[in-house]
Amino acid sequence: MFSVLSYGRLVARAVLGGLSQTDPRAGGGGGGDYGLVTAGCGFGKDFRKGLLKKGVCYGDDACFVARHRSADVLGVADGVGGWRDYGVDPSQFSGTLMRTCERLVKEGRFIPSNPVGILTTSYCELLQNKIPLLGSSTACIVVLDRTSHRLHTANLGDSGFLVVRGGEVVHRSDEQQHYFNTPFQLSIAPPEAEGVVLSDSPDAADSTSFDVQLGDIILTATDGLFDNMPDYMILQELKKLKNSNYESIQQTARSIAEQAHELAYDPNYMSPFAQFACDNGLNVRGGKPDDITVLLSIVAEYTD
Amino acid sequence: MPPVFPMLTVLTMFYYICLRRRARTATRGEMMNSRRTIESNSRTLPINSEVVQYAKEVLDFSSHYGSENSMSYTMWNLAGIPNVYPSSGDFTQAAVFRTYGTWWNQCPSAPLPFRRTPQNFQSQDYVELAFEEPVYPTAVHVLETYHPGAVIRILACSANPYSPNPPAEVRWEILWSERPTKVNTSQARQFKPCIKQINFPSNLIRLEVNSTLLDYYTELDAVVLHGVKDRPVLSLKTSLIGMNDLDEEDYEEKDVCGMEVLCKQFNNATLREWTNNGYFDKLPYELIQLILSHLTLPDLCRLAQTCKLLYQHCCDPLQYTHLNLQPYWAKLNDTSLEYLQSRCTLVQWLNLSWTGNRGFISVSGFGRFLKVCGSELVRLELACGHFLNETCLEVISEMCPNLQELNLSSCDKLSPQAFNHIAKLCGLKRLVLYRTKVEQTSLLSILNFCSELQHLSLGSCVMIEDYDVIASMIGTKCKKLRTLDLWRCKNITENGIAELASGCQLLEELDLGWCPTLQSSTGCFANLARKLPNLQKLFLTANRSVCDTDIEELANNCSRLQQLDILGTRMVSPASLRKLLESCKNLSLLDVSFCSQIDNRVVLELNASFPNVFIKKSFTQ
Repeated sequence: MFSVLSYGRLVARAVLGGLSQTDPRAGGGGGGDYGLVTAGCGFGKDFRKGLLKKGVCYGDDACFVARHRSADVLGVADGVGGWRDYGVDPSQFSGTLMRTCERLVKEGRFIPSNPVGILTTSYCELLQNKIPLLGSSTACIVVLDRTSHRLHTANLGDSGFLVVRGGEVVHRSDEQQHYFNTPFQLSIAPPEAEGVVLSDSPDAADSTSFDVQLGDIILTATDGLFDNMPDYMILQELKKLKNSNYESIQQTARSIAEQAHELAYDPNYMSPFAQFACDNGLNVRGGKPDDITVLLSIVAEYTD
Repeated sequence: MPPVFPMLTVLTMFYYICLRRRARTATRGEMMNSRRTIESNSRTLPINSEVVQYAKEVLDFSSHYGSENSMSYTMWNLAGIPNVYPSSGDFTQAAVFRTYGTWWNQCPSAPLPFRRTPQNFQSQDYVELAFEEPVYPTAVHVLETYHPGAVIRILACSANPYSPNPPAEVRWEILWSERPTKVNTSQARQFKPCIKQINFPSNLIRLEVNSTLLDYYTELDAVVLHGVKDRPVLSLKTSLIGMNDLDEEDYEEKDVCGMEVLCKQFNNATLREWTNNGYFDKLPYELIQLILSHLTLPDLCRLAQTCKLLYQHCCDPLQYTHLNLQPYWAKLNDTSLEYLQSRCTLVQWLNLSWTGNRGFISVSGFGRFLKVCGSELVRLELACGHFLNETCLEVISEMCPNLQELNLSSCDKLSPQAFNHIAKLCGLKRLVLYRTKVEQTSLLSILNFCSELQHLSLGSCVMIEDYDVIASMIGTKCKKLRTLDLWRCKNITENGIAELASGCQLLEELDLGWCPTLQSSTGCFANLARKLPNLQKLFLTANRSVCDTDIEELANNCSRLQQLDILGTRMVSPASLRKLLESCKNLSLLDVSFCSQIDNRVVLELNASFPNVFIKKSFTQ
C-alpha cells in the first residue's frame, strides 16, 4: 500500500537544527559540498498498488530522486484525475514527466540554477514520444547545487515544498491556481480539445533560489499532503526527527504520509482544503481524499 | 655458359619460393608454440586486467530517427549505460536510425545504385562512439533492444578522439564483419560478435548497419567495449580464431585495404616491352572494356599492373564514369584521389560519402580532384563529409556545371553560408540537405534558381525559421518536384501545405513525419489528398490529429498510394483503414503503430483480408 523510495548510500553526518556546521574539508570559501539525504513515501487514493515497474507512482502522483555530479534533484508531479473520463490513465503523464526529468538529471542535461529548464525540456520530450500521450500534471522540481549550497526550485501548480530550519518554515513555494481547486498545469490535450483544456507553459513555473544550511529539512509533496495537513502538524512531525540517517528520515516521511492519509478520510476534520473551500463560499468539511506523495530530505555534507 | 644463367636464376627463384612457403608454415606452428610458452610465462607477470567501458560520447552518425533538439530516439542515446536493456520494445531512450527494410529503396526518391559497388559493401548507416580509455579490444557487445540484427560491421580507429595532439597516422581496422542476416526475433539481445585482435589500442569504435532485412526500425541501447591496456599476449584460443580469420582478412583486405593499391605509384617504364599480347590482340577493344567493367575498383587497379595493354584498358576514363569510393572510406585520401584523377576525367557519378574525415581528404585535395574531374559530373554524393567547407561548395558550383544530383546529407559541420553556392547549380534535379545547417535565405535562393528540382530532402534542417515561406517558394518555383521530405520540420502549417499542394501537382512522395504544427481540422491533409492524386508515399508520422476523414479522402483520391505512415494518432478507426486498403490496391506499407484504436486484433484481421500489405504495429512494453 505504501512504499518507500530507496535512495542513496549517502551516509549523513549532519546534525539537526544546524548545531554543528563545522566542516572538516572546508578549504576556502563556503566549505565542502552539500548533498540531500532523501526518503519518500506515499499513498494512492484508491489503495492501488503504489510502486510501479517504471519509476515511482502513488495513484496519479509520481516522483523522482536523482543525483548528478553537480547537484541533487528531486521532483513530484500530480496527474490531473479528470483525464480518466477520456479513458486516459492520468498517472501515465505525471509518471512519464518525472521519469524524463530523472533521465535528464542522470545524464547531466541540465543546469542546476535553471530548474524550469528541466521542466521545459522534459515537457518537450513528452511531445517527442511516439506514444500519443494525453493528460496534465502539476510539477515541482527542487535542485540542490552541491558547491554553491543553493536550493533552486521550480513549481507549477499546487504541489510544493517547505524548507524547515530550527523547527520553523524559512522558505516555501507559492501555490499557483487559476481558480479554486484548479492549479496551473502542464498538459497535452487531444487535437479536438486543444484550447479547451487548461494548459500552462512550463515557463509559467514559479522559480526561486534559496541558500540552505546543513541540517535544513526540505519537504516536497503534492497537494494531497498540503490540503490535509496544516503547517503546524507537519512541523510537529518533523520535530520527531532526531537523526539524519536514511532510516529515520524514511520513518518520519512515512509517519507524515500516514497521518495525512488518515486525515484525508476523516469526515469531521476541518482540513486546510475544507478551510479554503469555506473561504471560497463552499460548505465543505472533512479531509480531501487524494493521492499523497511526500519526499523528505535533509541537507547533509556530501559524501560520495 | 650464358644460357645457363637465366635457367639457374629461375631455378633458384623457384627453390626460394618453396623455401619461403615452408618457412612460413613453420613459423606459424612455431609462433603458436611460442605464444603458448609466453602465455604460461606470463602467469608470473602482473595480470593484464580487462577494462570494461560503456561509450562516453557519440561523435558522429549518418542518420537518426529523433529530432536534433531532443534526446528521444536519437543516436546520442547510445552513449552511457543501458536505459532499456533487458526490456524489449520501441522506447524513446534507445538509438534509432532513420530507415529500415527496403521501403526507402522502393519509393520515387530512391537513388539508383552505383555500378561497380563491391558485393560485400553493404553498410547503409554508421555511428562512431568514443570511449574513455584506449584499449586493445577483446570484445565489443552491442545491446540491441528492438529488431536486432542490423549491425554488420564493427571497426576500431587508431586515433584517440580525446588526445590533444592530432595523430600522425589514422588507421581503421575491421574488428568484425558479416553479411546482413535475418534475425527471427524482435526481442532484445546482447550481441557478442567474435572480434579480431588488433595491434593498436583504440577508444574509437564504429558500428555500421544494414537494416534491409529488418521488419522494423532497429533500436540500440548501449555498446560495451572490453579490452586490455597492455598489448595482449594471444592465448591459444584467440590465436586459433585469429588463424581462422586469416582467410577472411585476405578477403577483407581486397576491399577495404585495397585502396592501398591506388596509392602505390607504379612506373610505366618498368613494364617490359612485348611485341604482342597473344589472343588479347584479337579481342575487340570494346569487349575487353566490357569484361573490365565487371571488376571492382581495387581489382581494376591491380590489373593495371599486369601488362601494358591492360594498363591502357584500365586507365580508359570510360571505365570510371561511375566512381563509387564510399566503400573505401577507411583508406581513401588525397594521394589516392590524385592517383585516380587522370583516369577519371569523364566521371559522371561520383560517390564520396563517408570519405575524407579525420584529415584523410583536404579541402585543396578535393578541389584539385574536382578541377580535373568535375566537368562531366552529374551526380555527387557527399554524405557525412565533414572535411567539406564553404570553399568546397564554391569549387563544386564552379567546376561542375552539369551537376544534377547533390547529396550533402548529415554534413552537419558545414557552415550555413556554404549553402549559398548551391544556387549556382541551376540544373539540379536532386538535392539532399538532410541534417544540415542550411538557412532560410540560402534555401530560398536555391529554390528560386534551381527550378528543375525533382527531389528535395529538407528533413531535420533545424536552422530554417519559417517553413511556410519555404513551402510557398517550392509551390511557386519547383513545378517539377516529385518528392519532398519535410521530416521533423518544426513549423509548417496548413498555409504552406496549401501552396505546396496547388503548386507541385506532380508530387509522388511527401514526408510530413513529426510536423506537429499541422492540424487536420484545418483540412490540410484532405486538401493534399484531393490535389495530389499521384501520391505514392505519404508519411504523417506522429501527427496526433490525423483522423478518419483524412484516411477516407486518401482512399477516395490517392489510388496509387503505396506507403502510408500514420503512427501515433488516436483518431483513426479500423473501418476507415479497411476502406483505404480496399481502394488503394498498390498499398504495401501501412504503419499504424501507437494508433490507440487499432489494436493487435484489428491488425490481424486486416492482415488476413489484405495479405499483400505489410501492416506495422510497434510496441512498448
